[in-house]
Amino acid sequence: MTRKKVKLQYISNDSARKATFKKRKKGLMKKVSELTTLCGIDACAIVYSPYDSQPEIWPSPGGVQRVLSRFKKLPEMEQSKKMVNQESFLRQRIAKANEQLKKMSKDNREKEMTEVMFQGLAGKPLLNLNLMDLNDLGWLIEQNLKDINKRVDLLTKGPHNSQVPLSSTMAGASGTMVAPPDAALDRTGGMEMNMDAMQRQQQWFTDMMHSHDHVGFGGDDMMFPFADGNHNNLWSNPFFP
Amino acid sequence: MVKKSSLGRQKIPIEKIPKKNHLQVTFSKRRAGLFKKASELCTLCGVEIGIVVFSPASKPFSFGHPEVESLFDRFLTRNPPPKNSSSHQLIEAHRNASVHELNLYLTQLVNQLEAEKKHGDELDQIKKDTRRQCWWTAPIDELGLHELEQLRAALLILKKNVGRQISEILIESSTNPSQI
Repeated sequence: MTRKKVKLQYISNDSARKATFKKRKKGLMKKVSELTTLCGIDACAIVYSPYDSQPEIWPSPGGVQRVLSRFKKLPEMEQSKKMVNQESFLRQRIAKANEQLKKMSKDNREKEMTEVMFQGLAGKPLLNLNLMDLNDLGWLIEQNLKDINKRVDLLTKGPHNSQVPLSSTMAGASGTMVAPPDAALDRTGGMEMNMDAMQRQQQWFTDMMHSHDHVGFGGDDMMFPFADGNHNNLWSNPFFP
Repeated sequence: MVKKSSLGRQKIPIEKIPKKNHLQVTFSKRRAGLFKKASELCTLCGVEIGIVVFSPASKPFSFGHPEVESLFDRFLTRNPPPKNSSSHQLIEAHRNASVHELNLYLTQLVNQLEAEKKHGDELDQIKKDTRRQCWWTAPIDELGLHELEQLRAALLILKKNVGRQISEILIESSTNPSQI
């Protein structure tokens, strides 16, 4: 089987085109056949080509007739609901691909900002971040703080509360980075966030702008003093000299 | 631990799938794949194809190039291919042009998706590497109470810093409106 990437356009070379046609038509028929067997359903395929006066069909003339009449018996609306031609099919695929791309970029963005956050915790100064980056970073910090608070509450209340799902991860804060985050952060057994996502983002923003130094760490510098000596090498982390 | 997103390609016997859910999923995927192959065949070789498939729930899915209806009618009535009038040729040329463009756009998107996925894998790898060295990158559930409190403290400081940087930028932009 050739694994060369084929350009999705009409093959101008006649013999190459004919060869491709033979192979792919055979493959197509095989796929239809497999689909019917695997799923126990009805299907038929008709292929008209310049290479044959008669169309190539599957499963058989009788079979095609039967499936087509089953199809035609249905009301017009049912027939057209999932009917596509090349154009509409391609548009659907494009829409889906765009959606996937959007989601993937958002996820990658979150991954990137999480890295930045981790580096910030290691003491690396926040350089080269524009307003949008800072905004997203702040949001991410907020999400993590929320998760931490919930977890701390759980641990301090005692081991009776075993209902909270243990699947949260630091870098897995659900929600999106640039666009308003999705609402459902279902951590404490079913309480969906009702607050409008936009509001939430603005809320943490205002909090941050007016936040006091609750923590009691004096320094105004960028480094993060972990007060006790339990984890000595946190700061002079060889990762960020 | 990064979970595998799917089992990948598995070889299955060609016989009716016993489990209903599995059957439904397979139908969805393979139906889409079938139409994709048909669409490619039409584009690559300039042929006309019609396919009808009934779902396990008896819903009809059909693909047709150039159009489902005309193709099926052509088959059923054993008609010879329609004569190529000039208006017909014009319509066909127009349709081919838009299909061509759509294919180009789709190809571009698919490439972008591949690049983005690769980027994502790289980021995952980086995360894996830093995880070993920095305890705070572990999932929150794996951290002890003491660690959580430390982490929270550090995050609050970081948050303050971020806030400060934002104010700086905003102040700078209000004195220098061209900056943002």
